[in-house]
Amino acid sequence: MNDIIVQMKNIVKVYPDGTVALRGVDLEVRRGEIHGLLGENGAGKTTLMKILSGLLRPTSGEIYIAGKRVHFKSASEALKHGIGMVHQHLALVPAFTAYENIILGLPSREASRKKIEKLMEETGLKVPLDALVEDLPFGVRQRIEIIKMLYRNVDILILDEPTTNLTPIETRELFHTLKELKKRGKTIIFITHKLREVLEVTDRITVLRRGRVVGRTETAKATPEMLAKMMVGREVVMKIEKKPAKPGEPVLIVKDLWVKNDLGEWAVKGLSFAVYSGEIFGIAGVEGNGQTELVEAITGLRRVEKGQVILMGKDVTNKSPGELYRLGLSHIPEDRHKLGLVLDMTVSENSILGIHRLKKFLGSLLNLKWGVIDRHARDIIERFEIVAPGTKAPARSLSGGNQQKLVVGRELSKSPRVIVAAQPTRGLDVAATEYIRKLLIKMRDEGKAVLLVSADLDEILQLSDRMAVMYEGEFMGIAKPEELTEERIGLMMGGYKMEQISSKTSPQPVESR
Amino acid sequence: MPGSRFWIVLKEELGRLAEILIAVLVGFVIAGILMWLGGYDPIAAYIAMFEFSFSDPYYLATTLSFAAPIMLTAITFAVGVRAGLFNIGAEGQLYMGALGAVIVASWALPGPLYLPLAIIVGSLMGAVWGLAAGLLKVYREVNEVVSTIMLNWIAFWVVEYARVYIYPNPIDASKTISMPPAGRLPILIKGTELSASLIVSLVFVGIAFYLLWYMVLGYEIRATGLNPSAARYGGINPKKAMLWAFIIGGIASGLAGVCEIAGRPPSYAITTGLSNLMGLGFDGITVSLLGANHPFGIIPAAIFIGALYSGARGMQIVTGVPLEMVKAVQGIIIIALAVPGIIRLIRSKIRRGGVKVV
Repeated sequence: MNDIIVQMKNIVKVYPDGTVALRGVDLEVRRGEIHGLLGENGAGKTTLMKILSGLLRPTSGEIYIAGKRVHFKSASEALKHGIGMVHQHLALVPAFTAYENIILGLPSREASRKKIEKLMEETGLKVPLDALVEDLPFGVRQRIEIIKMLYRNVDILILDEPTTNLTPIETRELFHTLKELKKRGKTIIFITHKLREVLEVTDRITVLRRGRVVGRTETAKATPEMLAKMMVGREVVMKIEKKPAKPGEPVLIVKDLWVKNDLGEWAVKGLSFAVYSGEIFGIAGVEGNGQTELVEAITGLRRVEKGQVILMGKDVTNKSPGELYRLGLSHIPEDRHKLGLVLDMTVSENSILGIHRLKKFLGSLLNLKWGVIDRHARDIIERFEIVAPGTKAPARSLSGGNQQKLVVGRELSKSPRVIVAAQPTRGLDVAATEYIRKLLIKMRDEGKAVLLVSADLDEILQLSDRMAVMYEGEFMGIAKPEELTEERIGLMMGGYKMEQISSKTSPQPVESR
Repeated sequence: MPGSRFWIVLKEELGRLAEILIAVLVGFVIAGILMWLGGYDPIAAYIAMFEFSFSDPYYLATTLSFAAPIMLTAITFAVGVRAGLFNIGAEGQLYMGALGAVIVASWALPGPLYLPLAIIVGSLMGAVWGLAAGLLKVYREVNEVVSTIMLNWIAFWVVEYARVYIYPNPIDASKTISMPPAGRLPILIKGTELSASLIVSLVFVGIAFYLLWYMVLGYEIRATGLNPSAARYGGINPKKAMLWAFIIGGIASGLAGVCEIAGRPPSYAITTGLSNLMGLGFDGITVSLLGANHPFGIIPAAIFIGALYSGARGMQIVTGVPLEMVKAVQGIIIIALAVPGIIRLIRSKIRRGGVKVV
């Protein structure tokens, strides 16, 4: 069994809070292969690989590297055995140059610029060594991380969802690199939930579901349908029943909107669009292309530098969130921990955030009528099937899905006319996701206007009546989802305007500012 | 309306009780070692301390009379913490409140008007002093720790100046004009220093509790303190909430100043170097931390600190522990008491990446 380089046997991981992440997982990885670790959110992929790379210790189970039993107490011990992991959130120092990041933590005698340059030459992984990391795009930063690992003589390279923040072009480059590394004898473990990617780049695949291995296969023998079935445990893809939309009046109009990000750079560059009552208008795009700033500007949380936001016929540019709520806006924010909830407050207290000055909640002393509020909270809990210990439990004590349901429930209890939903199902399990998506469709059928911003393309395609793809603060095009092929959407996400794609001439990338 | 919710709110804070009791114990043990090293008998000293703080109605009254003002200054700090602030300006706000009472005392008024006017003017002056730090914080991003410390000193010299040059007592140069008898808070137990200022304090603590947990303003203050971004998302203006926290805190400390003038025999005035006011604001910080920044924790905490002050006299008389040692003992206990609260505060500030106004 010489060609088995990594063998993990019956790995169990129970977190201190009682969460069972892995329920006895066996994994075998062959030397020199690209091994795909496929699974949904919460399947245990990352936990398993954190154990392999020494960041976590298994509750029980055995690990063998090249046939020898190992017990890693830290990531550096794993590194000594040639195992290195590139995380989804890169661990680079932004104010350091690429070179400084690569040699960070090494004794100075081991820092050799020449060796790094040679390594880049050999592997084709090129990065500007003297550029500051903060000035480099994500794809390049990722390459720096990979070089960092290779420079430390890593033989087994683990990549956790490496394509999440990459454009299609960068992804292609990454895959090319991985194949190069394979040729050079490196073993790669590729964590992902994207079927197409796992099929394209891996040799063998292990599929995890809820902490168990549910399938192993040679990639050559796999089909997307079969992998999807293993991953979700039933016939996919969930197709949500949807009546045709009956759009009415435009209730949210955005005209030539210009918004800056926290660094003072233009994040939204002259966007114009309208959302009609009774429709879901989706905005797709790789995250970080100005979607967050757009949503914040529309919902009163960020300054509009130029342009107009018109809600229900009124100019509401730069109005406060409170005023917008009164006009019938609801906002399901993308970060429920930072914005949507005050985690240390109770479910009741959170159930009125933003509507706490409504007359029905207030007594004559400007006091809050807790009786009424508790009933309101219980109402939301029942209507939206929230699992909560009670209305007086802190929001922190709810699971992520139930926290999100609480936010959604509260926002919908405002009886809004316009709903702005940003990443409404991020981090949620399948059931909660489906529930919230159906709810959004229900809202649309009730004649509300829904502006849906999501990095999850499936979500946009499933829900939207019309959709736009956002890239570097601009729309690459607005169309009905059924008019677009995945390839065309992919191109738009990578910076090609719809017109350019339609005209048969060779597409030109949009100049970035 | 209280009932079950009331207990939930109380229970939130009960978990900290053990931590606090340990801190008290640690304080007493270290202080005891210090006394033993100084050649005194710590056990006898502590027995004397206890006797002179609780053992008979006179001592108990003294304890409570010390507890009353620091209950109010503790509210200043506690309301600040609830809004995510570190407001240590109670000291200066208390001076201003006391000055307000003295100003009213200097007027020729019909008797019954003195007390209500003193309360209004004094708490307003405290509120203005708190608001000054608030405006600097909210509009000029001046850290409230820095501004309140400086405002404390400004208040000190303003009041000291007024004591000497504007409102000196014509009979006794060591103090200001006294509150006329008609404007004084009644003494609750004859022959003691315990006046109705205790009732004023308890009522205000109750109001603070109601405000924080039952009124919409308190809801907004607490939301701002726990998560300013979410508060803003929820249509709350965090700046406004913080300003209100400064104002409420100012009122509390201003009121404490008024009570010291209208309710503390024998002087009923501000004495030289503000000696009868000094330290009451800072003691409030200790009391608040000790009481888990909760109004109902503050009441026993204030009584505890009041007992230390009144028991200290007994310790000196019975065991001969000199006054300096008494102060050192108090300091150690207070530091030991404050440690867990401060650690928690720093930790939560770090976790939140600092409290920021956007």
